[in-house]
Amino acid sequence: MRALKIAATGMQAQQTRVEVISNNLANMSTTAYNPRRAEFADLHYEQSRRPGTVNAADGSVLPTGVQLGLGVRTSAVTMEIAQGSLRNTGGDLDLAIEGDGYLEVLLPTGLSAFTRDGALKRDADGLIVTSDGHPVIPEITVPADARAISINADGEVYAYFDDQVEGRQLGAFALAGFANEKGLEAMGGNLYRETAASGAPEIGEAGRDGRGVFRQGFLEDSAVDAVREITRLIEAQRGYELNAKVITAADQMMAASAQIR
Amino acid sequence: MDNAVYVALGRQAGLRDEMRLVANNVANMSTAGYRREATLFSEVIARLPVEGGSVSMSRARVRVTDFAPGIAEATGGALDLAIDGSGFFRVETPAGERLTRAGAFLQRADGSVATAEGHVLLDAGGAPVVLPPGASEIAVGADGSVSVDGRPAARLGLVAPADGAALIRETGQLFEATGPVEPVETHLRQGFLEGSNVSPVTELARMIAVQRAYEAGQRALEQEDQRVRTAVRTLAGTA
Repeated sequence: MRALKIAATGMQAQQTRVEVISNNLANMSTTAYNPRRAEFADLHYEQSRRPGTVNAADGSVLPTGVQLGLGVRTSAVTMEIAQGSLRNTGGDLDLAIEGDGYLEVLLPTGLSAFTRDGALKRDADGLIVTSDGHPVIPEITVPADARAISINADGEVYAYFDDQVEGRQLGAFALAGFANEKGLEAMGGNLYRETAASGAPEIGEAGRDGRGVFRQGFLEDSAVDAVREITRLIEAQRGYELNAKVITAADQMMAASAQIR
Repeated sequence: MDNAVYVALGRQAGLRDEMRLVANNVANMSTAGYRREATLFSEVIARLPVEGGSVSMSRARVRVTDFAPGIAEATGGALDLAIDGSGFFRVETPAGERLTRAGAFLQRADGSVATAEGHVLLDAGGAPVVLPPGASEIAVGADGSVSVDGRPAARLGLVAPADGAALIRETGQLFEATGPVEPVETHLRQGFLEGSNVSPVTELARMIAVQRAYEAGQRALEQEDQRVRTAVRTLAGTA
């Protein structure tokens, strides 16, 4: 009875879906989180009679054949790229990116990672780092005696001092764009790594060539839509139950056959 | 004289196939662009050695694919395309050109547009769709015209198999056309994904019907078994 195994693949698929949804819901307050979506594909078909075969009996061509499907598999879990709403925090190092682009950060391994989480901090030396302590590239150090910091839409960082009227430019943040954002590899901690699928980062000034702009004092909310996730969760749960029913029915059919004397 | 047994067995074999198909439909109820399948039972007439006698059996040998559209879900993705009405996207696979209605496409690093499995989308003329990489805004019109940052970049076209061509199902919601395909009117909706056209209620009803029919066949077999036993006992008793 193949129906048992086919229904099992269906239950597995719905389970994957619930897992993806629960991860989305768990991250509904994670800064700049993009929801994921599980995508499925039907499994291979057993071609027991190909359509278009010539029927030996009278030479006519079969308009349809016999193809037996074998169930479903998960084909991809893709990121749904969407701009989260901007939340006013008032923090002078809270940077939201409005539009496309990622901040480049330096990992302890010496490699770069990319993030849209702009909740930046200063370390003991005044270096601007992420919440996890990874320095943002290009590295910008805020002098200890700076009175205030202002970051404009283009990412230029100005520091103001008590003894100066005009601000001094400390540097400028850049944004990295990717040909295929969905191809980035999520590393956890709101960080993404470049892959062969995403293409090399194109790093440049904010607000140019389709890159987004910075908003100081704001953070990007998670783009998870709780209502959509819940409706998908209901669908997935019912789908799981339905597949379980198929297993029960197939089992009862087998039991009926087993009673033969 | 086992015809009654063969009639019941033939029916049960068909029902087992149908159950498998229901299971496959249910398993794919969340597969974007999946088209449900159905079986058709056909009658097979066997001639009997007695004058003018015949026995009718059923066989589930024909499968039909239901091409009714599925419900489109709003996803907001720039390259999530749902087809309004009939037609298929053309994609290039290692095995050749295939048709699909699963419209979740991605832009790859080289700018080409492909499915999650890496099959490249073909445009109205049959050439791979390549959009400038790093585009910030991709707009797809209902007629299939694609513009990137306000400049026209490609034109998508839908096709359908021409008369006489059948579709062979393949993994990944792909269909292989056995004959030529012809362009059809293109109606696309950007930001939507067409779901599976499996209706859970219908499948559940079919599943129950199949299961009960199978059990009925089982009872027919048991009664036939009983009848033969009684016949053997009676005949042996008189002899």
